Amino acid sequence: MTNVDYDVTDDMIAVVEDTDLPRRLKDEVYETLEDRGDATVQDADELARAVESRYLDTRVDPLDPVGTVSAQSIGEPGTQLTMNTFHYAGVAEIDVTQGLPRLIELVDARKTPDTPMMTVYLEDEYAAEREKAHEVVWNIEATKILALGDVSTNVADMRVQISLNEDTLRERMITPEEVAEIIEDNLGVSTVQQGTEIQFGPEEPSYRDLLQLVEELRDITFKGIEEVSRVVIRREELDVGEQFVLYTEGSAFGDVLEIEGVDASRTTCNNIHEIHRNLGIEAAREAIIEETNNTLAEQGLDDVNVRHLMLVADMMTNRGEIESIGRHGISGSKESVLARAAFEVTVNHLLNAAIHGETDELDGVTENVIVGKPIKLGTGDVDLRMGSTKSSGSQAD
Amino acid sequence: MVDVSQHELVPEHTILDEDALDEVLEEYDIDRTDLPKIKRSDPALPDEAEIGDVIKIVRNSRTADQAVVYRLVVE
Repeated sequence: MTNVDYDVTDDMIAVVEDTDLPRRLKDEVYETLEDRGDATVQDADELARAVESRYLDTRVDPLDPVGTVSAQSIGEPGTQLTMNTFHYAGVAEIDVTQGLPRLIELVDARKTPDTPMMTVYLEDEYAAEREKAHEVVWNIEATKILALGDVSTNVADMRVQISLNEDTLRERMITPEEVAEIIEDNLGVSTVQQGTEIQFGPEEPSYRDLLQLVEELRDITFKGIEEVSRVVIRREELDVGEQFVLYTEGSAFGDVLEIEGVDASRTTCNNIHEIHRNLGIEAAREAIIEETNNTLAEQGLDDVNVRHLMLVADMMTNRGEIESIGRHGISGSKESVLARAAFEVTVNHLLNAAIHGETDELDGVTENVIVGKPIKLGTGDVDLRMGSTKSSGSQAD
Repeated sequence: MVDVSQHELVPEHTILDEDALDEVLEEYDIDRTDLPKIKRSDPALPDEAEIGDVIKIVRNSRTADQAVVYRLVVE
């Protein structure tokens, strides 16, 4: 017996729960009954059934061309999307691809989006104290040598000299000894370290080697994740209270989840392939819906019904991995030769089909339109018969 | 190691037993291979899942309260 927090009788509850309505509609029925203090069980019954029949009416009619409807429903507002890759996210100062280019990225299932970004939530004390939050920041943001100090080359002595900044070292929680060690490991040279001064040089006194070492030095990541170039902290008002949230430029989802202090249940990123790799196909599907919805909503087009986006996401994730819509994905793997030829790269498909003696079953929409037969959608898949009805013996109109 | 099923984007994945599976296939009048697929290497799968198993997934849906879908484990 479900426990309902509304002021209605048990009989009414029984009657309403008996219908096939989703929870929120049942709750609305209860609310209405509660507001009308004088409602009887009869009224409750009538109300519930009326709501139920209306609800069932909203289901899709059989043979409705939902694919086409969804395509149009997303395509039409798509013409209103900005084609500019204006970078301005509104959240923190991080650039994110928006508008049409972003939508194209998503639908094409591009492996590497232009502006990867992560939203990192923190747990417990890391979310409450700024100090702790900073700890996590330095564990994520890639620290390169230029952030830690100055690099100079002494050509006369064939030495590279690094002068580390004490404040930065303290802030980022790294010691000069560690820096020296990392340099030694990465470059294969032995270093001389005195306090915050580190020196090293190439084995042979070669000008070229010296410069090469400096170049390689610039690329070393001393702390944090290499792909993350910048992290911004913001204090945000969430449902659970005020928390520190991190926004990153650059994405390394798998690595970030393992870092201490990171809330691995809420942290997300905008690269659907990374979500797929780390959280699975269902999460990827949800991420696609979320991202496309946000892209449209950002430009004020938030009234595209979510079920169209759900259909697109479902189709893209149907085979267990993320397929793009185009010729390298779904459209390219159709069985019908004519459908593929009609989409892109016409001659290749026709040529290959001819060489291999392929057959087209003429099952889908495109090929039937080409050939001139009715399609198996809408009224095309319905058979009509003339004649009288057998049931009551009366004549058909 | 991070527990993937704890993430808010990941719904509940359970392995479906043969009887329940037959009912589902019956109701939709389909074959096993017509179901949507999920890869064996998917992080959200329970460890005991084998290729050929069918997974029942209960999602929180934006259009209904919950939506139940089935996926066949492949390759």
